[in-house]
Amino acid sequence: MGIIEYGDVKIELDDEGYLKNFDDWNEKMACGLAEHAGVDELSKERMEVIKFMRDYYRQYSAFPILNSVCRNIHQPKDCVNEDFVDPVVAWKIAGLPKPSEEVISYLKR
Amino acid sequence: MADIKAPELTGEIITPKVTPGASKGIMPFKAKPELMEKVNFPAEKPSNWKELFLKKMEEILKKYRSVRVFLDECVRCGACTDKCHYFLSTGDPRNMPVHRQELMRSVYRKYFTTGGKLLGNLAGARELSDELLEEWLTYFYQCSECRRCSVFCPYGIDTAEITMAAREILDATGIGSKYNLEIINKAETIGNNLGMPGPALRNTLDFVEEEIEEKTGVPVKLPLDVEGADILLVTPSADFFAEPHVLSLEGYAKVFHQAGVNWTISSHASEGGNFGMFIGNYDHMKTINKRIWDAARDLKVKRVIAGECGHAWRVLYSFSNTLNGPFDFLDSQYRQPSHICEYTLDLIKKGAIKLDKAANDEFSVTFHDSCNVARASRMGETPGDQMTIPREIINACCNKFVDMADDTIGERTFCCGGGGGVLTDEMIDIRVKGAMPRMQALKRVKDSHDVNFFALICAICKAQFTKIFPIYGIEMEEVGGVHQLISNSIQLGAKEGV
Repeated sequence: MGIIEYGDVKIELDDEGYLKNFDDWNEKMACGLAEHAGVDELSKERMEVIKFMRDYYRQYSAFPILNSVCRNIHQPKDCVNEDFVDPVVAWKIAGLPKPSEEVISYLKR
Repeated sequence: MADIKAPELTGEIITPKVTPGASKGIMPFKAKPELMEKVNFPAEKPSNWKELFLKKMEEILKKYRSVRVFLDECVRCGACTDKCHYFLSTGDPRNMPVHRQELMRSVYRKYFTTGGKLLGNLAGARELSDELLEEWLTYFYQCSECRRCSVFCPYGIDTAEITMAAREILDATGIGSKYNLEIINKAETIGNNLGMPGPALRNTLDFVEEEIEEKTGVPVKLPLDVEGADILLVTPSADFFAEPHVLSLEGYAKVFHQAGVNWTISSHASEGGNFGMFIGNYDHMKTINKRIWDAARDLKVKRVIAGECGHAWRVLYSFSNTLNGPFDFLDSQYRQPSHICEYTLDLIKKGAIKLDKAANDEFSVTFHDSCNVARASRMGETPGDQMTIPREIINACCNKFVDMADDTIGERTFCCGGGGGVLTDEMIDIRVKGAMPRMQALKRVKDSHDVNFFALICAICKAQFTKIFPIYGIEMEEVGGVHQLISNSIQLGAKEGV
């Protein structure tokens, strides 16, 4: 998919639209990834989801069970779907690598 | 998904007008060369692909006599033509099982029969071409290997076996399905289709324990990697990940808790599913299955119990013994893996667990028989128990249960539309359409009995219906597991034991 630009930030994506290098991520880049994914604004609630996903991935190399995300950040039970509609979009904005096909098939709505 | 329209729900399943090419162009994404190599297939289609294709086909014809018999014995009687959910919903004649198989049969005639070699087209023989390969990739992935057509075939042709052989030949030619092969690679390298490592699994089980305790006040445990446990639970990894699947996991845990048994999940074999079967590849099926054997042996368990997953149950029940030898190290009473439904019903009958039916009074329930359970395996002591056992469980924990029409349940059940390795986004159009016959049958019991809980014992069915119900205008929350109903109704408390 190549490089997208957000202001003066250049963001390199893999061919399925995931951030190429997990460590490149910062909040400004998240805004660029959000814009690219059609998410209008990264509210505080959305940013909490994203940061939790990053922390979880760093520790466990896995996609967390969605309700546990909401419990951990003290948001309502269906928060990821409420905040993002599609949890995989949240994952992309969090700059994380593509999850398993199976994860995607169980998550995407 | 907003642009995908579902067929209208009328309650009727009507054989459509034939429309050639109606579902042309719907096919799986192809796996990239790196992925193909990781799972031991040619990186891509080479210039000598016809040789590879025919070599694999010859090998299959020699190894699996059944495939050759199936190719030879079809008399084109047409009994199968209107039995496939993908034909009924698309009208594409290539989705008539006999016509789908013709894609392989014509090649068989051309290269493996005297008549076809001599007479070519006149004998219905067809040469290999790029166009034919595209048709194979299209229509052998518009088959969910559900085997409904086989029930009606007077010769007993197992169409799913033809589909599996076709996918195996495509893989050997360097053409694989990205979805299926990525999942196989995850299962073989990490231990489950989700790619969830052991610590993440433990973290998830901790979360499920907290949820149960919060809801019930009872500290129900979900043990991981406990050596010397009596029971190893092998379940689809979806149960560790998403709703409604995880609600059935809560149900299994509560049943084991109340039975007072020492049980465990394994991080090494944290997957019941086996996508090796979907692509007809013996080696992958064996490798994935072996993890369960190794875990059972290493943990020194007495018994293996399978959770709610259709094809996992088929592989465990029907193929395990020949894939990796008999389970001779298990307790002599339990050398065959058991299904969680058999286990739970046995406890209910013994009075070892108490159920409060009123807890499910908000639900009017129907049960969808999953293909691989209904048509490809068994449960219990007598033939057909795989149909009656889940219904007995539901009736034991719910006051309101009704079956869908006879010709859509039991061994004649319709596929969910997403089984057999097609549960992926690029196939959504055919998945929505393919669910149509099942949805029409459901519509009738919704109208007549206000059904609002669609009970399942298969992770793929659960994922498929959760996704397509809203497209048909039904709440996804109406999809659930049989053990979700058990979980709602089981009375936790002083242990009565088994």
